[in-house]
Amino acid sequence: MDYVIKVENLKKSYGKQIAVDNLSFSVEKGTVFGLLGANGAGKSTTIECIIGTKPLDNGRVCILGVNLVKRRKELFEKVGVQFQEANYQENIRVGELCQVTASLYKKPADFNALLNKFGIGHKSNALVKELSGGQRQRLFIILALIPNPEVVFLDELTTGLDARARREVWHILKELKDKGLTMLLTSHFMDEVEVLCDTICILKKGKVVFRGTVQEAVEDSPYEKLEDAYLWYTDEEEKDNENF
Amino acid sequence: MKTFNTMLKTELKLSLRGMDMVIFAVCMPIVVLVVLGIIYGDKPAFDGARYTFLEQSFGAIATIAICAGGVMGLPLVVSDYRSKQILKRLKVTPVKPWVILLVQVTIYGIYSIMSLISLFIVANTFFDFRMQGSMFQFILGWLLVMLSLFSIGMMVGGIAKNTKDAGVIASILYFPMLIFSGATVPYEAMPKVLQKVVDVLPLTQGIKILKSATLGLPLENVMLPIAILTILAVVCTGVTIRFFKWE
Repeated sequence: MDYVIKVENLKKSYGKQIAVDNLSFSVEKGTVFGLLGANGAGKSTTIECIIGTKPLDNGRVCILGVNLVKRRKELFEKVGVQFQEANYQENIRVGELCQVTASLYKKPADFNALLNKFGIGHKSNALVKELSGGQRQRLFIILALIPNPEVVFLDELTTGLDARARREVWHILKELKDKGLTMLLTSHFMDEVEVLCDTICILKKGKVVFRGTVQEAVEDSPYEKLEDAYLWYTDEEEKDNENF
Repeated sequence: MKTFNTMLKTELKLSLRGMDMVIFAVCMPIVVLVVLGIIYGDKPAFDGARYTFLEQSFGAIATIAICAGGVMGLPLVVSDYRSKQILKRLKVTPVKPWVILLVQVTIYGIYSIMSLISLFIVANTFFDFRMQGSMFQFILGWLLVMLSLFSIGMMVGGIAKNTKDAGVIASILYFPMLIFSGATVPYEAMPKVLQKVVDVLPLTQGIKILKSATLGLPLENVMLPIAILTILAVVCTGVTIRFFKWE
């Protein structure tokens, strides 16, 4: 099997608090892997440990068959990362941010084409901070795609997008997936997960409570919808009911 | 190199868009030069001096831009880029995050050079300024001042907890040095006691080197300032490399 991401026994704690506990999974080439869980369940920490912005306490991570620490420069030519928070200079324009991002890579994608594809081609001269939430979110996905990556990490990719923009983003991502792009994403929207993800992993307080396909997640639960199944796995429904 | 050039172009544009460095590093030194020139004209520095008051002050004015960029501009931009996680984002690209720091140092170096050139032109054209000493020595001294002040700035930006702290420390360093080191108010115009006090400022020492080079005074007189600035640069660079916070 051709694994693009392989995580073995990943463990990370902040002081005494365990953020990710003994997490293992692998993502096949050309598939989309969804990392689900409530806020604070360890999704972002997991991504940060995989891409190396946080050191792991224990375990092993391999991307595209390569150990990240040893061959960082070579690997990041093929990896795109979209962060949850905005990381850009105060007065930078959309076109400038794309241009600088493109200059980081040997063979970058045509960012103007990407801007057009995501419907913000006319915003090239606008300041990034003046974009609407949805436009900015689309820009950050574009930044992750500029390397022409073989694998992308998308953290809460459609948060802040309206229904139409979300559909458009899904459509583009599905197209990229068909071309062989591998994706690891986190999301709070189960409709999105059903549309995009081949396999999912549900985290609860840093521990895996489910791992498998979307269909299996539903079948293994007493429910018929993914959202209900997800809440059942994470026990969020019970807590909600107690609040009434 | 492609990355460096593209980043330099963009960061320079961003910096010009902010305008503060144009004002504090390029316009302000010229204003100080012109004011001193109008007040003192081409009068000798003191009775019987073989150089003018303005020539005596030139080295000092040439450090205003270095001071603005080094201890105000650099700390702010470095801590800002860390808190905005721009440094962190670069960590997940083929380029190392220190490249953008090098770009910033280059930008403040460019401002300093622009300032120096414009000061030479204005002083020569309007106030009969002549470099009495060695130009080569002056440039070397000027580079040493830049190296030491930039290393202070990089250290402050690199280890300050957040942008607010960096701003406070930068102000504490910048304003006293700007006013009391002799960069704007001439050192010679200060009472002897005050001169002794302001001698602790690194920029005061740097200005002594440049003054000596401009006026062609013996190099032996400034061996101590040269040693002080060199040690300062080495220590600050060491601390920066050891304790720099990327996020």
